[in-house]
Amino acid sequence: MLRYADSFRMRLLLHLRAYLFIGIFTGGVAGQVQSRLPPGEIPAGKILLVVQPHHDDHTTDYGMGGVIARFVESGYKAYYVRASNDEKDGANSYARNDIINLKETRDGTRILGMEDVISLNWRNDFMNPIPLNELREQLIFLIRKYRPDVVLGHNPWEHYQKNPDHRNVARALVEAYWLAGYDTVHPEHFKLGLKPHAAAHFYEKGRLDWGLGQISNVALELSESQVQKKERAIAAHRNVYHNPGAKRAIQDRLAAMGMHVPELDAVNGDEASDLLLHWWMNWVSRDIGKKAGVKYAEDLYHMDAQDHLPGLKAYIEANARRIP
Amino acid sequence: MRRRLFLQILSASLARAAAGKTVLIVASDAGWLACAGGAVAKMTGDGASAILVRVGNDEKESWGLTPEETALRNRTEGERAAKLLGIQEVISFGYRSSELRDVPHTTMRDRLIFLIRHHRPAVLFFPNPHTEQDRNLDRYYVGAAAEDAWHCARFQNYLPAASHSGLAPHIVSEVYYYSPPVDPRRREPESTATFVPQPVRVDIGGQFERKLRAAQVLRTVNRSTAMRLKQSLEAAGRRLPILDVVDESAIDKLVEENLRGLAAVCSEGSGYQLAEEFRYAGIEYDIPAKYLR
Repeated sequence: MLRYADSFRMRLLLHLRAYLFIGIFTGGVAGQVQSRLPPGEIPAGKILLVVQPHHDDHTTDYGMGGVIARFVESGYKAYYVRASNDEKDGANSYARNDIINLKETRDGTRILGMEDVISLNWRNDFMNPIPLNELREQLIFLIRKYRPDVVLGHNPWEHYQKNPDHRNVARALVEAYWLAGYDTVHPEHFKLGLKPHAAAHFYEKGRLDWGLGQISNVALELSESQVQKKERAIAAHRNVYHNPGAKRAIQDRLAAMGMHVPELDAVNGDEASDLLLHWWMNWVSRDIGKKAGVKYAEDLYHMDAQDHLPGLKAYIEANARRIP
Repeated sequence: MRRRLFLQILSASLARAAAGKTVLIVASDAGWLACAGGAVAKMTGDGASAILVRVGNDEKESWGLTPEETALRNRTEGERAAKLLGIQEVISFGYRSSELRDVPHTTMRDRLIFLIRHHRPAVLFFPNPHTEQDRNLDRYYVGAAAEDAWHCARFQNYLPAASHSGLAPHIVSEVYYYSPPVDPRRREPESTATFVPQPVRVDIGGQFERKLRAAQVLRTVNRSTAMRLKQSLEAAGRRLPILDVVDESAIDKLVEENLRGLAAVCSEGSGYQLAEEFRYAGIEYDIPAKYLR
């Protein structure tokens, strides 16, 4: 029998899919913004550290699976940090959800080309009261260990974010990103041979459709194969996303509007579940691509290591020289 | 047109506040000085008295020093800088910087309520907790506590023991929310001027030199900034010629470039040469403009 949280998640997912699905076929989705975003490039570097609260946050509607795939294809080694244990996500016991979701995180991130998953195992959906400076210390440690050029995470200022896991992991991360470079912060790490490290770039991502939505300042174009990796990466999370019953729910909803979709009628429930994920990820990538004037894209907010000094930006641009 | 007129009225209100007492609540020395040092100098220059409340101890912001030595040097330098801007008293809470989220919100808030009731300022400055993309979250925690303290200081049922002992409730009528200009939406007016602070720019052309001299006193922080900037540029294969040799004159020059650049960013589109920008809550915060007219 499903617990409340699980059944709620399922119902939410069904509604969300139906909403997106109907949007795809009726040609409109609330909140679409058509302003053109500047195209971004993959910065020079070797290591990407992605920090998110949950198993599937690397690739969802607000995710960055395509961008991760693009970083890897550009030569980056990428690592995924899962801050929670995901015990609530799925229709199983807490322990079983944890084990299955971690395995599927490894499967999904491997499809994106990532090297490893580091799970911090903070209790899922209990992250509001945790000592956040302790989580931050763990992230500082990992930044010093892996020495990323690029850190990628959730937007700590996202409007109407109801899930404290997202808000708190994002807050811990945005501080860890710069404090890891300070030798006055957790000097005990240096006993292990670690050294301060300031990553050169921070990218953040939030939901597209909550409140004022994600305020992005860059769009990274995706290739067809990067979008396909993204679709396969989310489909790897079968414990949460494989839902043969979704077909029937959507058909019923469309029928009430006098509509039907032949592609959906022609497949069974298992196939329909995969098809819906394919459409979902493809639609999100196309929708963001429109903002950037390309076929597929993901949009992010980018900060570099000098952005916290807005008074020096123009001076640096005018006076910095390349080191030969 | 109406919006421009409204913003001009807000700008002009700075002069009205000059005669009162000002309390600045800050997370760290370098942050408030860069964001609000000119406006404070303008107020003290016009005869206002000012008090600075440092919540954090700035123990992290140095290059090659221990946290204890860093905190001591930053406190000494911060007090000297404050004096140069006409601030009469500096109160340091001494909480560990970059650990401020571990301080209970109500603890911080109640200490600030106490000081607001004791000093009874006409004007408050504090960090804007609603700013986005400011990676230093100390400003968020201090700003949230200060905003709460501003609101609660007016009600007698907060800190009842202090109320009973003669610290009467107090309403601060003007508030300047400061933050570095990093939020892409910082200049967008909110939906209503009532109960929501509005964007305002303050001309600091006449105070810039004084602000610069005060900022250059923060030698420990400035050296840290210069070395970290040099390091991050080198990591990206770049160099700033001014930082080839990081000595005092190079650091002073960098501080000047930073403050001039900041003042230029803040003055964009305002008609001022050098400015600071705030979110401002004045009379229209409490009373809708249509009733004022």
